[in-house]
Amino acid sequence: MRMKLLSAIRGPMLLVAAILATSGTLSAIDRYSDPAAVNRIVGQLQQSYPALVKVHKLDVTPGGREMLMLEIGSSGTAVPAVLVAANMSGTAPLATEAALSLATRLIKDESLRKGHTWYILPMGNPDAYARYFAKPLYSDTGNGTPFNDDTDELTDEDGFNDLDGNGIITQMRVKTPDGIWIPVDGEPRLMRKADAAKGETGIYKLYTEGIDDDGDGKYNEDPPGGTNVDANFPHLFKNFGRRSGLYAGSATESWNVMKFAFSHPEIAMVLSFGQTNYLLAPPQGGRRGSFDADNIRIPREIGSQLGVDMSRTYSMQEIIELVRPMVPAGMTVDESLIAGFLGLGAVVNPMREDLEFYNAISSDFKDYLKEKGVTAERFDPEQPTEGSFEMWAYYQLGVPVFSMDFWGIPKPKEEKKEGALTVDALEKMSKSDFMALGEEKIDAFLKASGAPAQYNAKTVMAMVSGGQVTPGQLAAMVKQMPKQPGNEKGDEKKGDPREIALLAFTDKYTEGKDFVAWKEYKHPTLGDVEIGGFVPFGASTPPAAMVDSLLDLQLPFVADLAGRLPDLKLTDVKVTEKGGGVYQVDLWVTNKGYLPFPTAMGKRNQAPFPAVLVLGGGDDYKLLSGNKRTTLNTLGGFQSEKYTWLLVAKKKSSLTINLESKQAGKDSKQITIGG
Amino acid sequence: MERKKSFITAVIMALAVTLIQAQEIKVPLRFDFYYDYEQVVEAIKALNKAYPQLTTIDQVGKSEEGRVIWAITINNPKTGKPLEKPGVYVDGNIHGNEIQATEVCLYLVNRLLTEYGKNKDITDIVDRNAFYVIPTVNVDGRAHFFADANTPSSNRGLRIPVDDDHDGLFDEDGPDDLDGDGTIATMRIRDTLGRLRTDPEDKRLMIAVKPGEKGEWTRLGQEGIDNDGDGEVNEDGEGAIDGNRDWAFDWQPPYVQRGAGKYPFEGSGTKAIAEWMLARPNIIMVFAFHNNGGMYLRGPSFKEAGELPQGDLTVYNYLGNTIEKIVPGYDYLISWKDLYSTYGDFTDFTDNMIGAYSLVGELFQPETETFDGTFKMKEEEGSMYRGEASESERQRLKFNDNVTQGDLFKEWTPYKHPLYGDIEIGGWVKMSSRLPHAFMLQDLVHRNASAVIFAAQNTPKISMEVFEVKKIEGNLWSVRVRLVNEGAMPSVLYQTIKNKLYPQDVLSVSGKGVTVVSGGRLIDQWFDKVDYKEYKPEVQLCQVPGFGKVEYQFLVNGKGNIDIKFESKKAGTVTKTVALN
Repeated sequence: MRMKLLSAIRGPMLLVAAILATSGTLSAIDRYSDPAAVNRIVGQLQQSYPALVKVHKLDVTPGGREMLMLEIGSSGTAVPAVLVAANMSGTAPLATEAALSLATRLIKDESLRKGHTWYILPMGNPDAYARYFAKPLYSDTGNGTPFNDDTDELTDEDGFNDLDGNGIITQMRVKTPDGIWIPVDGEPRLMRKADAAKGETGIYKLYTEGIDDDGDGKYNEDPPGGTNVDANFPHLFKNFGRRSGLYAGSATESWNVMKFAFSHPEIAMVLSFGQTNYLLAPPQGGRRGSFDADNIRIPREIGSQLGVDMSRTYSMQEIIELVRPMVPAGMTVDESLIAGFLGLGAVVNPMREDLEFYNAISSDFKDYLKEKGVTAERFDPEQPTEGSFEMWAYYQLGVPVFSMDFWGIPKPKEEKKEGALTVDALEKMSKSDFMALGEEKIDAFLKASGAPAQYNAKTVMAMVSGGQVTPGQLAAMVKQMPKQPGNEKGDEKKGDPREIALLAFTDKYTEGKDFVAWKEYKHPTLGDVEIGGFVPFGASTPPAAMVDSLLDLQLPFVADLAGRLPDLKLTDVKVTEKGGGVYQVDLWVTNKGYLPFPTAMGKRNQAPFPAVLVLGGGDDYKLLSGNKRTTLNTLGGFQSEKYTWLLVAKKKSSLTINLESKQAGKDSKQITIGG
Repeated sequence: MERKKSFITAVIMALAVTLIQAQEIKVPLRFDFYYDYEQVVEAIKALNKAYPQLTTIDQVGKSEEGRVIWAITINNPKTGKPLEKPGVYVDGNIHGNEIQATEVCLYLVNRLLTEYGKNKDITDIVDRNAFYVIPTVNVDGRAHFFADANTPSSNRGLRIPVDDDHDGLFDEDGPDDLDGDGTIATMRIRDTLGRLRTDPEDKRLMIAVKPGEKGEWTRLGQEGIDNDGDGEVNEDGEGAIDGNRDWAFDWQPPYVQRGAGKYPFEGSGTKAIAEWMLARPNIIMVFAFHNNGGMYLRGPSFKEAGELPQGDLTVYNYLGNTIEKIVPGYDYLISWKDLYSTYGDFTDFTDNMIGAYSLVGELFQPETETFDGTFKMKEEEGSMYRGEASESERQRLKFNDNVTQGDLFKEWTPYKHPLYGDIEIGGWVKMSSRLPHAFMLQDLVHRNASAVIFAAQNTPKISMEVFEVKKIEGNLWSVRVRLVNEGAMPSVLYQTIKNKLYPQDVLSVSGKGVTVVSGGRLIDQWFDKVDYKEYKPEVQLCQVPGFGKVEYQFLVNGKGNIDIKFESKKAGTVTKTVALN
């Protein structure tokens, strides 16, 4: 059984090594930890390692559960910190295990901590998470706040009912003349929509398992459960969504996470363990609403106030210059003022500069997996949803954010056409290689990549041969392409490929326990029905026996990520005497880390605490140019920038230059001038 | 000698302070002066003490500096509990400097209480509404506006430190009251290359030099020094989080909109008020008072929100068009369209999250400070920002000289500045420009409180008629119910229904041994057209429109009494018992 499970995620070569490596060092997880157990473990870690572990009580949820955060490290707020938040939706048990496992690893192995403080929130939505351990089993992201889903006169009055008594809420299918579902060809356990255009007639209606508790003609339309913490954050918050909560931050869980994060400006990186994976699928652009800072159209009513030509567009800098003379003296005119004034709105797509490191790190992670012998392909992880924690952390906290899901349903081995084109192959191709592929292969590739219809082989080949685009650029474009829903659909008659894969997985590795076979049932209002279908959580939660090896494989990369934090150092200083007691001080600041400080988004939203150069002393010298405090510009990974001061010193004096920052390290240099 | 004199001055001043402090706050309240924060609290307590049966006072929450935000609720317990009546919520002074908003709130409470039982209109609205009044929202701002040196516009925000200049230090370089007169005025320096010269019509004002003319002055900005030695003056003053950008409906972060906090409801006071209001779902009318400009603004506050439903616009227009006449010179406007877009506004929150008609009252118009025999100056062209004198400013100075005896303007006075050297400090004082002189306050508070009273007269007022009880055959009856609303406001907002904020009102029929066979909204009583509800016909979800009615028909099987009940979050409960026999 275990052998079979592991081979589902990696090649056999690594298998033995992995088992050897884990046995004995960490206790194997034979079940997921329920909310009480999570808090117990958190408490035990604190008791066992009081010098290294602190516990913050972030919240008591509407359902009365404590939401605890671990603080690991001995330097507290004095060093940069990594915030790890797990299972914000409450429907990702593996994420909670990963966070607990990470905490244990960080405690036991100082080298993994990289000198940082680690804030770890193992369960960000305890109320929803508790459902994984309750009977009957069903999945719902809502916390314990009552919510009237159907806006009728009662609240939480019509939830699911475990009619067949198996402890699991599955589905009901009912034969009815107005049914729209039919069994999948060759797999009658699965259902698909009948295609009327092809002359198919529906047979079944599908319902979730339950009765019409409140007699309103609807089934299970108002189950208990209110707000999804992972939809309650203020970036792209969805007003009046079913699980998004009354307003951004209306859930005490999310509001307290925001409050904590902003009270800890040393948080330099955020990791989100849940259902998305930026390491496999970097954040995507393509949302409408972002403005182009080089081409801003000024609205008519404002344009007439400014007295400008409204037929053309302006750059942000031009508009700043236009507005500056109009505001009262002393008022700073910056991008945020203009953005607000013109109503440009929030940034909704990842900043171009940030995508560079996202893509590079993703590529490193894939190489890392390859090195570890992982060969099995899996379905793409989800992209973050509106109002999610990781979106908020990137767009509003302004730090680098990475997410991990640790597992996805393995893709069944596709019989790929011999020699079919892949993105990786395309990336390395020359123009002539590409042209030699021929129309058919390129068309098949474009179709499989979900390219828009106007990009067929003919047009793309013309672009490549005309030199407008190289095969490498084309590969990058395909990678950036938003995954369209139809993208992984495959042959519709064969049903949803994810469902097929999940069924294959459970048949092969978990003795089919993630699928309940359809069984007849006499329903009080629907009559003869069949109850069956997928068991909730199956698609996101691997069998407990797999957890250790999945985490052993992937958690080490977390230390790799933390090791990439920006690290600012004062690398060199030069003093030049200019005559007359005047000295020029040149100072080089170097980012010895991989990541920039701040990210492009952090520069835009100005949320990260700035890195500042501070000149010490002051009685024996006078500044002629430059300031005592200088806020640093953005500094890319492994980049340096020179800062210069001109000062006059009559007698020999010593001058200290301090680099102060909360997220990107500290440094100090002493120099002697004058005399 | 010199010493003795200053000692006497000090004694006199101390005495004066004691006298002001000792000034007793008594009901009925006076409105010929501005109340500082302590006096506001005293006034709220005095009103409660004078009318214990009609009022309750609550500590809604505390500010960043620990001051209590007080609410006073007016409710006549003899006519029901507050939650059973339409709620009218009024607050003011969310911007710390916009102080007369508090006086409007206090005046309203004072008037409702002192006239209750004497004035019929006031007695009526007190009996059928619950009034929730928070006279001062930004309690820290008000306290500091009075206590500290300010411009008429400073001390607006919450006391949450903000690093405005992004140098890692917080609030380290605000303006300084160099001459110690309690006002942050303007600094100017003599400069033959300057862009300004003395206005020949009023030497206190400056006008722009024309090409070829010689300059006389350069404006240096607000009174202050470079406290942190970074080469900029007054670039990082106290706070900068605007309490009226902190509300969580369509909130946007500070990079999108300056003045927002780091996350919604960062302000402890705004968060406390939101929770306090959410616990009072009967609130259907909200007034938030600000200064200035003479406007009543309705939402939405930003364009992307789209227009409000027509049904709600009808109500807003009815209120707004009448209020324009109650407060002459004020304009009823749309927030985003006629002003500018804002996110995380208080009134957008109350409109969408509380389900209440919400108006912002921008109190006072500087144009009413006239000296030409009219009550309001004509609007004029010209830039107010370039530091040039305008005709209105000349006139306001004459008003200052002749009507307020110089209370509003500080004459230019020489000062030795550590950086600039010989400069002059002068200009409009703290208690000017955005607030009326105390002698004009009475008119302002009365008219604007009357706007609230008018709205309170138009909260939903629902009555029920059972206009048909007809036997069809055997024990089967047709019962027809009409709900009538005499107020302009519907029993639940159209916006609330559109948003599915919460369920509509409930009209239900029940009785021992009877079943409601069928029921629905009666669309045409002559042709028996009914919009039947297929399931649970005994419970109907409904809205009673303003100045209108809605009718329902129930087919009831059985005998004996049936209870017909209308329950509304905003409009209370109405029941009737009807006998089927």
